[in-house]
Amino acid sequence: MTRRIAHVGVVFLVLYGLLFFRLEIIQVFNADTLRNHPQNTREITLVFDEPRGFIRTADGEVIAHTVAVSGRQGRLRQYPYGPLYSHVSGFISAENGGSGLERTQNDFLGGKDLGVRLQDNRDLFIDRSRTGQLELSIRHDIQLIARAAMAGQVGAAVVLDPATGSVLGLWSAPQFDPNHLSSHDLGAVTSDYEALSSDPNQPLLNRAEFQSYEIGSLFTIVTAATAIEEGLRDFAVPPVRSVAPREGSQAIVHDAGACGGDLRSLLLTDCSPGWATIGTTIGREKLSDISQRLGITAKSPIRLDGSPKGALEAGSLNSSASYAAVGEGLKVTPLQIAHLFATIANGGTRMQPHAVSRVLAYDGKVLKEFAPDPLRQALSKETAAELRQLLADNVTDGTARSLSIDGISVGGMVATQFPDKHSWAVAMTPVTLPGLVVAVLLEDDNFSDQQISEANVAAVTRRITEAILRLPSFKVGGS
Amino acid sequence: MARQRVVELTLLLLAAFITVATVTISAVDERVAWSWGVVPYLTGLMVLWAVTHLALRRWASSSNGLLFPITALLQGLGFAFIVRIDPELANNHFAWSVAATCGFLLVLKGLDDLNWLQKARPYVGVVGALLLLAPGIIAAGPGTRGSSSTIDIGAVSIAPQQLGNLFLITFFAAWLSRYRSRNTAEHLGQVQPLDGDPSRFLPLVGGWLLISILVIFHSDMSLGFTTFIIFVSMWWIAAGRMRDLAVFLAAITGSLVVAAGSIAETKSIFAAWIDPWGNPELGNASIQSSFALAGGGLTGTGPGGGSADLIPGATDLFAFVPLAEELGFIGGAAVLLSYLLLVGVGLRLAVAARTEFDTILASGIAIFFGAQAWASIAAVVRFLPPTGLSLPFVALNGSLLVTCNIALALLLKVSEAAPNVSERTQLLPQISVQIPGDQ
Repeated sequence: MTRRIAHVGVVFLVLYGLLFFRLEIIQVFNADTLRNHPQNTREITLVFDEPRGFIRTADGEVIAHTVAVSGRQGRLRQYPYGPLYSHVSGFISAENGGSGLERTQNDFLGGKDLGVRLQDNRDLFIDRSRTGQLELSIRHDIQLIARAAMAGQVGAAVVLDPATGSVLGLWSAPQFDPNHLSSHDLGAVTSDYEALSSDPNQPLLNRAEFQSYEIGSLFTIVTAATAIEEGLRDFAVPPVRSVAPREGSQAIVHDAGACGGDLRSLLLTDCSPGWATIGTTIGREKLSDISQRLGITAKSPIRLDGSPKGALEAGSLNSSASYAAVGEGLKVTPLQIAHLFATIANGGTRMQPHAVSRVLAYDGKVLKEFAPDPLRQALSKETAAELRQLLADNVTDGTARSLSIDGISVGGMVATQFPDKHSWAVAMTPVTLPGLVVAVLLEDDNFSDQQISEANVAAVTRRITEAILRLPSFKVGGS
Repeated sequence: MARQRVVELTLLLLAAFITVATVTISAVDERVAWSWGVVPYLTGLMVLWAVTHLALRRWASSSNGLLFPITALLQGLGFAFIVRIDPELANNHFAWSVAATCGFLLVLKGLDDLNWLQKARPYVGVVGALLLLAPGIIAAGPGTRGSSSTIDIGAVSIAPQQLGNLFLITFFAAWLSRYRSRNTAEHLGQVQPLDGDPSRFLPLVGGWLLISILVIFHSDMSLGFTTFIIFVSMWWIAAGRMRDLAVFLAAITGSLVVAAGSIAETKSIFAAWIDPWGNPELGNASIQSSFALAGGGLTGTGPGGGSADLIPGATDLFAFVPLAEELGFIGGAAVLLSYLLLVGVGLRLAVAARTEFDTILASGIAIFFGAQAWASIAAVVRFLPPTGLSLPFVALNGSLLVTCNIALALLLKVSEAAPNVSERTQLLPQISVQIPGDQ
C-alpha cells in the first residue's frame, strides 16, 4: 500500500508541476504579450485619475492635458481641440479603458517609466508623482489642413515625412470628442461610449492605422518594382484586353480597350491585364518576396511606434500570380500605403513611422528623444528613383493628372476599388527628393462612377499637398 | 509529544506575521478602501488560531505540527485579500471561521476513537451521498429551474456537496479497508481479472454510479471531477488492480460522453475556454484573470496594488488571481507549494498510520485538499475549463472552510493515533544508523 500511496504522491507532484509551469508562462514568459493585448485596458483604467503629463504638437499646441477640478477625483483630463485629435491622442476613461497615444504611451504620461519617475536624484528618496510630457511630430497647421480638405468625407489621411518616418498629420473620419469619454459623469460616459461603439460608422475606429482596405491597382507599383529588379524594365507586353487567370474565374479586363507596352505605358493607362501578364512572367514568388520586404504583407501590419500588435491580420497575396500582380484581395491600412510610398520616396529605405518625437520632464528637459528608425533597405536606390520617375510621369501624362500642382513636380497614383466602394490617392513631392508624402483613403457609399470618385479623392489629396507646400513654415526637403 | 506543538506555535506565529503584514501593506495603498473595522476581525482570527492551538495541546498533543500552520497561513492570506477587496466581507468571513473552528474542536474532542467512524459506515455513506446530491435534487424539484449548487436557509446559503465528499471519503475508507483483504493483489496474488469475490467490483460500480449521477443528471462537472479524483486515488491505494482501473476509466469516459452530448451549454463554455478573447462575454473572467496575472509578473504589484475590482468572483472562484497578481509569480508559487506540502504531509501521515482504515482515510483527505486546490487553480490559469471550485482555506466559501477544517481535524486525529509520529512525519527522511551487533 505504501508504494501505491507514493504513486499518488508522484501524480500530484506532476500535476502541481504543470500548474507551476503554466503560471510561469502566464506571469513571466507571456506577460508582455498579455500586457500589450489590444483587449487589455486595465493599466490605463487604473491610472485614470492620477497625475498625467500633457501632449503637445510639434508647433506647441497642447492637445491633451490634466487640469485640477473640485470634487472627489480632483483631476480631469481635457482635450482642448476636441475631435480634431481624437484619433491621435485617443482618450482615457474610468471604465472604458483608452485608445491612441493615451494608451500606447501610458508609461511615459503616467510616470510608470523609470526614466520618467526618477527625473532627478532627489526622486530616489521622495515618493512624488512625476509625469512625462509628449511632444509629437504631428503639426497643428497640417492637422487643420487635413481636416479642412477631408470635411464631409469618411476615410483617412496620413501625411508623412519620408526621410524620418515622422507623421506630420493623421486624420480619420468620423471622429469623436474624447472630452465626453474622460468626463467624471460616469453615466453620461457610459451612454456616450455605447452610442459611439454601436454607431455603424465606427467613429471610435482609427481608420488610418487599424482598418484594412483592398489595395486595388496601387499594388501595380510593387509589381513595377519587381519587374525593374528582375530586369524586365523594357519588357513590352503585347496589346491585350483581358486575361483569365484560371479556367472559370473572373477575367481581368481593361474597359477602355486593348492596352500594353512597357512599364511606363502600363502604369499610365492603368492596364490591369498588362500587369497580370507581367505578373505571370515574374511569378508569384518574386512578388511575394518584394511585398514582404516592403512590409505590405508582413506578419503584423506596420503601426506607429508602440501601437498594440495583433488587432489586425496581415494581408496576403492572391494565390494566382496574375491576380496577385494587380493586388486582388490584398488588404492594407492607409498608414501602410503612406509607408509604402514614403519608402519609394526615401530611396528604398523603410523608416518606422512614429508620431512621438520627444518625452519631456516637468521642467521641459528632454528625457527621451525618438531618433529616426530605419527598418531596412527594401529596394535599391536606383529602383526607387525609377519608380519615382514612373509616378511623376503618371501625374504629368497618366491617370493621376488631377494631382498635378503648378510650379512643382508631383508623383502619385489614384485608384478606385469598385466592389468595396473606396478610393485611394497618394502624392509625393518634389519628385527628385520628396519631403512630403500624402496618402488619402475615402469611403464612399454612394460610389457610382469611377471617374467621379477618382476626381474626388485626387482633389482632396491635391488640396492637402498644395496647402502644406504653401505653409510659410514648411520647407520641403527637411523641416 | 510536545515537540510538535513547539513547531506548530513557531510556524503559527510566522503565519500570523505574514497575515498582519499583508493586511497592513494593502491598507497603506491609497486605492484600497480601508476600514479600521477590519482590525477586530483580524484579532478575532488570531484568537481562533490560538484557541485551536491550545485545543491541540490539550486533546491531541502528539499530532502533527505542520498541518495546522499551513492551513492557517492560507486562511490568513485569504482573509487579507478578502478585506483588501471589500472590507464589508470581514464579518462574513469571521462568522464562517468561527463555525469552522467549532467544527474542528467538535471533531477533535468529540471523536474519541476513529474506529467508531468505521463501525458507523452505512450511516456515514448514506449521509454523504445525500449531502452530495441534495442541492441538485432540490434544484430539480418543481418550481425551480436549472442547476443550483447552494441551499438557502434564511440569509445563509450553504453548499453541502464538499461536506458530502468528506463523508464519502470516510465511507470509502471504511469500505475499502474491509474489502481489501479479499480484493487486492497483495492478498490474492496475480489472479485472473474475474477471479475472487465478485463483491470487489461493488466499490467501482458504486463510484461509477455516483459520479455518473453528478455528471449526467446534475450536470456538475467540477464536483464530479473532484469526487472522481478522490475515489480513483483511494481505490488505487487500497486495491491497485490495473485492469479494474482500466474498466472503471472506460465506464467513466462513457458517462462523460453522454453528459457532454446532453448539455447544450457545454459547447459554448468549451469555446470560451479554448479562445476567451473571441468570446468576451463568457470568457470575461478568464480574460480578466489572465491580464491580472500578467500584470503581476514575477514579483507582483504588491498587496493593494492590483486590479481585483475588475475580476469577477475575486473573493471566491478566482481567489487565486488577486493573490498571484499582487504577490507575483513568487507568491503564487508559494501558495502552490503550500498545497503540495499539505498533500505531502497528509500522504506521509497515511503511510505512518496505525490501521488500514486510518491510512486510506488520511490519503483520501490529503487528496481531497490537493484535488480541490489543483482544480481551482487550474481553472484560473485556463488549464481546465471553468470549474466552479473554490480554493480551500483561501476563498470566501464558508461551507468549504467548515468542511476543510473538519477534514483537517480528522487528519490530525490520524496522526495522533499513529505510533512514533514525530519520527515518521518529518519532512526529510531520517538516516538511521544500524550498529552491528546492537539489537
